[in-house]
Amino acid sequence: MKYAIETIGLSKNYGRVHAVDGVHLRVGPGEIYGFLGLNGAGKTTTIRALLGMIRPSAGEVRVLGEPVGPNGRGPWRRVGHMVEVPAAYPELTVRENLEVARRLQGIADKGATSRAIERLGIGAYADRAAGTLSTGNLHRLGLARAMLHEPELLILDEPANGLDPAGVVEIRELLAGLAHERGVTVFMSSHILTEVDRLATRIGVIHQGRLIEELEAAKMEALRSRRLIVEVRQPAAAYSALEGAGYSVTAENGGLFVTDARALESPDEVATLLVRAGAPPTKLLVEQEDLEAYFLRLTGEKS
Amino acid sequence: MNAFFAALWAEALKAYRSKVIWLSAAVVTILPLVDGMFMVILKNPERAKEMGLIGAKAQLVAGTATWPNFFYVMMMTGIAVGILFAFLTAWVFGREFSDRTAKELLALPTPRGTIVAAKFVLLAVWTQALALWIFGLSLVVVRAVDIPGDFSNLEAVSFGYFMGIAFLNYLLMPCAAYVASLGRGYLPPMAWIFFTLASAQLLQIMGWGEWYPWAVPALVGEMAGPKGGSIGVHSLLMVLAAFVAGLAATFAWWRSADQSR
Repeated sequence: MKYAIETIGLSKNYGRVHAVDGVHLRVGPGEIYGFLGLNGAGKTTTIRALLGMIRPSAGEVRVLGEPVGPNGRGPWRRVGHMVEVPAAYPELTVRENLEVARRLQGIADKGATSRAIERLGIGAYADRAAGTLSTGNLHRLGLARAMLHEPELLILDEPANGLDPAGVVEIRELLAGLAHERGVTVFMSSHILTEVDRLATRIGVIHQGRLIEELEAAKMEALRSRRLIVEVRQPAAAYSALEGAGYSVTAENGGLFVTDARALESPDEVATLLVRAGAPPTKLLVEQEDLEAYFLRLTGEKS
Repeated sequence: MNAFFAALWAEALKAYRSKVIWLSAAVVTILPLVDGMFMVILKNPERAKEMGLIGAKAQLVAGTATWPNFFYVMMMTGIAVGILFAFLTAWVFGREFSDRTAKELLALPTPRGTIVAAKFVLLAVWTQALALWIFGLSLVVVRAVDIPGDFSNLEAVSFGYFMGIAFLNYLLMPCAAYVASLGRGYLPPMAWIFFTLASAQLLQIMGWGEWYPWAVPALVGEMAGPKGGSIGVHSLLMVLAAFVAGLAATFAWWRSADQSR
């Protein structure tokens, strides 16, 4: 199996609306793939197609080397999933909900339910009706159900949604641990960009149904724009000195911004230049564009 | 087979933990008690007059307190129970959409068709158990009411008719299940129930009831009443056709329809 997930020209139309348009996805085994997109970009539609919940208008979907659908066909014994807001039978307890999932997953080991409860830290709520759970705990129940059968591939729609900050860190560590220690492939959509930034080894950006960018997380690091922020008490003198030295400078809101590679590589030279010009810096900071800014720049450009 | 029993276990647990199972039992428990109450009133016509409206209603429905009339009212109950069966079908299928749990049933090693089959088996057991409960309770009530005469023959015949009506009603449920699935919730099958009720009445008045599956349980009920009568095999075949069509449509929908909600 070359890819854990592979889509070839995946498209889904609802009438005249192209929810997903010719998406080619390739997710390797053991990767943590962050799938980014604005609301309505096509993230959930893609995930539903990966899980055989909708029939593609065109294209193919292969998961763990097997074709998906029609008729719900797929390697579901080896795939865990959570789509949109997790749902549970409100009158059943947390344990009963997981017990239903265990049986439908065909897991003979009765201990799987207790292990999933323990792993997701919902032991205190195990005998409470799911209808009384908080959003965060309902989310944990959804994740427990996804991980109940120790799947090789996890397809998760917004896994950090609804969790408190401690929960977000906990789930991030759990997913990272599963990927690094057990080789589990994680495909996760998210709009919490910092989460994707910290966890994903590869990132895909979907916008208006099209996959507009797909790259290694390390490569994205290089693509994000950087600039040197300079703050001084004599901005006019500093501006002249920097421009005179051949730097490309812009002034905004009382600060100076330099984007030349040599300034970013050697800010100490900029500091020396400013001191000699009689405008010593009060702040000198190399700032890298965060994923959010990169994402907005990218989707803005493609709109 | 294991997958089927796993799905049936899951469906049974969902039903057992819900209020609907107890609510349905409570509703059908009232029906034989009402039948018995009519007979108590009709045993004493003077008292029926004193009771005003309810006495008039009892006389309208059952006439006089006799064994045939008691069992005839029971048959009418059996027809009405078809509405309850449809509500249960709407719940069993529609709740997966109202609770947004349908998406948890789609990408599983247990095939979708197996889950749908388990739902229909649960409904069969549930509806026929309710019918048995109504009949059993009716026998207790009828003894308590103490209507004079011998009813040992009527008992067996009525049982056959009553369970026949209950079974025919069950055979009409897959269409309601399909409407619940297609409409993704409770409301569309509710509308379906009222449509079938109204259309059955209309077609019966027009004399085409024997060809309309949703009118057939009432025709069987009338056979057991004072007017008697009979129905042809074609009527039963129409019910069977509705059953097969409903099943096929529901299975096909769960296998193939886009689940985008």
